[in-house]
Amino acid sequence: MRRLDLAVLRRRPGASRDPLMVAAGIVLGLLCLLALVAALVPFAGSPTEISGPRLSPPSWEYPLGTDSLGRSLLPRLLEGIGVTLVVSATAVLITAVLSTAIGIVAGYAGGWLRETVMRVVDVLYAFPAIILAILVAAVLGAGRVATVSAIVLVTVPLMVRMIAAQAATVAHRDFVTSARISGVRLPVILYRHILSGVGGTLAVQGTYALSVGILVEGGLSFLGQGVQLPQSSLGLLVQEGAVYMVAAPWLLFAPAAVLVASILSITVIGDTLRDRLEPREVRSLA
Amino acid sequence: MNVRQSCTAAAGILALTLTGCGGGGAEPAAQAEVEPGYLAVADDTATAEGPVTVQVDYDSQEDGGLDPQLATTARSWSLFGLVYETLVTVDAEFGFQPGLATSWEQPDETTYIFTIDTSAQFSNGRALTVDDVAGTLERLKDGVGVWAGQIGPVDSVETLDDTRVQVNLSEPYTPFLAALANSPAGILPMEEIESGQVDIATEMLGTGPFVMESHRQDQNWVFSRHDGYRHAGDVLITELRVDIVGEDATRQAALREGSTALANFSNVDALSLLANSGATMYSQQQSDFYYILINGLREDSPLNDQDLRFALNAAIDRQALSNSALAGESAPTGVTPSNLPGACDPADLPSAGVGAEGAAGLIEASGYDGEPLDLLVYNSEPVLGQMAQVIQQQLEAAGVTVNIEQLDTAAYYERTHSTVPGNFDMALGWYAGYGDPAMVTRWWNPDIAGFSAAFAGSHEDLNGLIDQAAAESEPAAREQVFTELCHTVDEYSEMVPLVHRPGIVGLNPDLLTMDLAANEGYGDFLRYLPTARPVSAG
Amino acid sequence: MRAVLRWTLTRLLIMAVTLLGTSVVIFFAVRQMPGGYESVVLGPLASEEQRQAAAERYGLDQPVLVQYWHWVTGAVQGDFGISLVSQVPVIQELALRLPVTVTLALMALSAAVLIGVPLGVLTGLRSTSRSGGALGRTVAGLGISVPEFVLGSVALFVVSSVASCFSVGNLASLSGEPATLVRALVLPAAVLGLYCLAATARTTRDAVMNVLVEPHVTAAVARGETPGHIVRHHVLRNASVPVLTLLGTITAYLLGGAVIVETVFNIPGVGSYMVTGLGRHDYAVVQATVLLAAVAFIVINTVLDIAASLVDPRVAAAGGRR
Repeated sequence: MRRLDLAVLRRRPGASRDPLMVAAGIVLGLLCLLALVAALVPFAGSPTEISGPRLSPPSWEYPLGTDSLGRSLLPRLLEGIGVTLVVSATAVLITAVLSTAIGIVAGYAGGWLRETVMRVVDVLYAFPAIILAILVAAVLGAGRVATVSAIVLVTVPLMVRMIAAQAATVAHRDFVTSARISGVRLPVILYRHILSGVGGTLAVQGTYALSVGILVEGGLSFLGQGVQLPQSSLGLLVQEGAVYMVAAPWLLFAPAAVLVASILSITVIGDTLRDRLEPREVRSLA
Repeated sequence: MNVRQSCTAAAGILALTLTGCGGGGAEPAAQAEVEPGYLAVADDTATAEGPVTVQVDYDSQEDGGLDPQLATTARSWSLFGLVYETLVTVDAEFGFQPGLATSWEQPDETTYIFTIDTSAQFSNGRALTVDDVAGTLERLKDGVGVWAGQIGPVDSVETLDDTRVQVNLSEPYTPFLAALANSPAGILPMEEIESGQVDIATEMLGTGPFVMESHRQDQNWVFSRHDGYRHAGDVLITELRVDIVGEDATRQAALREGSTALANFSNVDALSLLANSGATMYSQQQSDFYYILINGLREDSPLNDQDLRFALNAAIDRQALSNSALAGESAPTGVTPSNLPGACDPADLPSAGVGAEGAAGLIEASGYDGEPLDLLVYNSEPVLGQMAQVIQQQLEAAGVTVNIEQLDTAAYYERTHSTVPGNFDMALGWYAGYGDPAMVTRWWNPDIAGFSAAFAGSHEDLNGLIDQAAAESEPAAREQVFTELCHTVDEYSEMVPLVHRPGIVGLNPDLLTMDLAANEGYGDFLRYLPTARPVSAG
Repeated sequence: MRAVLRWTLTRLLIMAVTLLGTSVVIFFAVRQMPGGYESVVLGPLASEEQRQAAAERYGLDQPVLVQYWHWVTGAVQGDFGISLVSQVPVIQELALRLPVTVTLALMALSAAVLIGVPLGVLTGLRSTSRSGGALGRTVAGLGISVPEFVLGSVALFVVSSVASCFSVGNLASLSGEPATLVRALVLPAAVLGLYCLAATARTTRDAVMNVLVEPHVTAAVARGETPGHIVRHHVLRNASVPVLTLLGTITAYLLGGAVIVETVFNIPGVGSYMVTGLGRHDYAVVQATVLLAAVAFIVINTVLDIAASLVDPRVAAAGGRR
């Protein structure tokens, strides 16, 4: 639903040590660390155990209160961070691998191969993200597999397009041409020259895809098509919390704050990466 | 449009919200009975006429369109009941009151004679005749609708004279009047249907208090008052809008701001969420109940073992289930809905006395190999997911690993009902409980209810009890059959009743006052809407 | 000019291919949904005969390719079939819902254009100040980081619990009257608009900053042109292409996919129609609404591409990168 911002690239000169980037990195790192530690050592308690009274406000025993089944929210939030990040990151990793393979080959080869790939990508790109995601969930059945597949299908088109464009540009550079003339084998050219040439694009697009992934997961959970119960995710917690906004605002605001903080951090990191890594050539039209 | 004129400054909104967020009280605010059998009664002093808007959670959605005889869901029954009238109606104590029949007699166990109200007329101005009544019942009995399975062993219907209709049953059937009291048995304009003047699937022509003006699927219904209605003088609502609003939160907002006079909620916590909103919240005890299917028909399934099924059944603590997932607004029930007269006591069920440790022991003794079991729920009713998580915890404690699968409705029915044997281990769902304890028990006989054949076996003893429950009319004997029936269902543990499905209704007292029964059998919170009284905006 | 013409024809051809591909994906995806349509439309209590009768009635017993052909040929003529649930032609319902969605889209879009663009230009021109830049980035970043379902839920609660001039609970009764419609949609449009505004401001700012460092701007400064003239003639014109592209994408997204906001606020638009249709496996409804969203996107993008080539013939000469 939110891949609009991916469509336009820019470059900005002289983005060196940026306090905003540092802050974003710290926030994201902290969230990852918390989720990881909680997954290894359940220091905050069990995310599924029904232990307390329903909808009780934050207290010493339940630092973020309890949900509508009487489960402590804190361990559920920690689990949710982990699930959301793992689901999105897995999806983005798959997207990155797929897009790189497809994009480099299509971009380097050009011609009808590139045209075919681009037309397929066009078709996928034509669906609004959330609609594509809901369709995938409806076909595969709600759950992790569907969520990951949905995020991949949503993020692949743009990344393939970017990488193919970048690869096509690099392919016509002098050093690639001379490598070809001097008899370097194709896989080596692709690996050594093209892959390194698209690295920057990959990093930037991957970061943005991560935030898109989190939004897609959230949107799917909100519509009841997200992860399987009793697992939690940030989107699911927000959806559950929204129901109880009046009586138990902590149920909404805690996960919502974490969700917004992670998307914001990722966006900031993406912006900074773009400033540093994005080569001039792809600047014009996306 | 009901738009408040007072615009509050943005800063004010924010400030008020922040202060409003402080309190976290979650006390149920359900009303006690104000009169025996009633949670609310209409205020006789309100005499103004006017339009009323009501919001409900989902729309009637029937393959048979507007044909009441093919209606399968409670929502359709409520809506169709605004236009069509039945021969008899149920009262707040599940007794029977005159409807289109002014009186009825039962000369013997299998014969009913109804005297019809000749002052009734359809909204096209034609008077009701005995032929409409006889034709309707014949059509219902011969039809393919679900209600054909509830109307009982109707053998023939004959008209005795201009005012009397006689129904002959082939065997005694005690729930007959209760079955006649629901909208699918509403009396249709048979003359117009047979002559082809009216297509009952796309238009409505009834004798009831309202006339359907328009229906836009999933959006709204508009009804106007039927001026030719027998008791038109009692109807003060001139125009009735029923808006379909899918999100609970939106309906809550509408009730709070006064966009709707009445709304129902699927989340029991609406009771506490709207406690201080100016709306009055009610929790209706419904005969509807949630069940868990434990599929013993799949090949090589450990659940083929009745002992294991029973142990799983016994491991589910109904009261804890109600407390956690339904805010304590529900209660355990056997297969005869516990709020109906003569129903069995769920506390006496064999599974009820086993306890958590006992159940764990039974599971171990059954030789269950620890293979995880799946538990299916559909995601259009979120509380099923909540219940599944509680059951998962309870079974976990008893040594059984459960995987919850949330499916959309179609995928759920595909695996639970359409595939035979069903492609699942356990599944949650609910049945309407109807107005007589024997009625819903018929779904436990797969020979009557074909849809149960995917997960329930056909058992001679159980089928015998189900027939007996329907045929027995003497109250004490009935009660005994019900108890035996409940125990047998409990022991087979294929389709296991759990807890009642509460009906949460909110009323804006500044807009409308109406009767609301404490107990409801057909999920019809709109039952007393025709006699509801708009409050003048004065 | 010839290049532009050829570019236009190529774009149109590509559009046709994409449309065809999209229709195939939609049609077959819908049929891959587990559970079929009967279970929902007929309910689990229906008999086998009822199921077959329904299949025949909607032509669902025919071979899939025949069904696809009927659907595509019908859709081209504006006939999207009949809803399995309401048994009303889908086009009839769309005709009622499209105006609502379009109004909502225009309202949100105007926030992007009227506030987002000036804001972006302003912050872009001042981007040399470092603290201001960070602030601008954070605010715009926040705008695109708050998911609609969070913002929507909060807005719904705030407005309904406090007496206000917005009514949120009765959108189901929306009438076609433009004034009422606009007033009722203010809040959802604000929720949607905030995101559009932030995204537009971000892109505009970036575009402006990119143009500012281009040689022709430097040259203009060297020539001693006034700042106002430079901004109007050099910066805005050159920055407009990426901004227009984004606005096109936003428009397409709003027309087809304001699914979540329409669901949260119970707006009887195209997005909520799709969600309910999907939940019930109402094939004709899902196919029509998803196709509509895809068509909006494809057509708008093609038009923008062609427009871009007219504004800047280099685009056509380069042969495009799409």
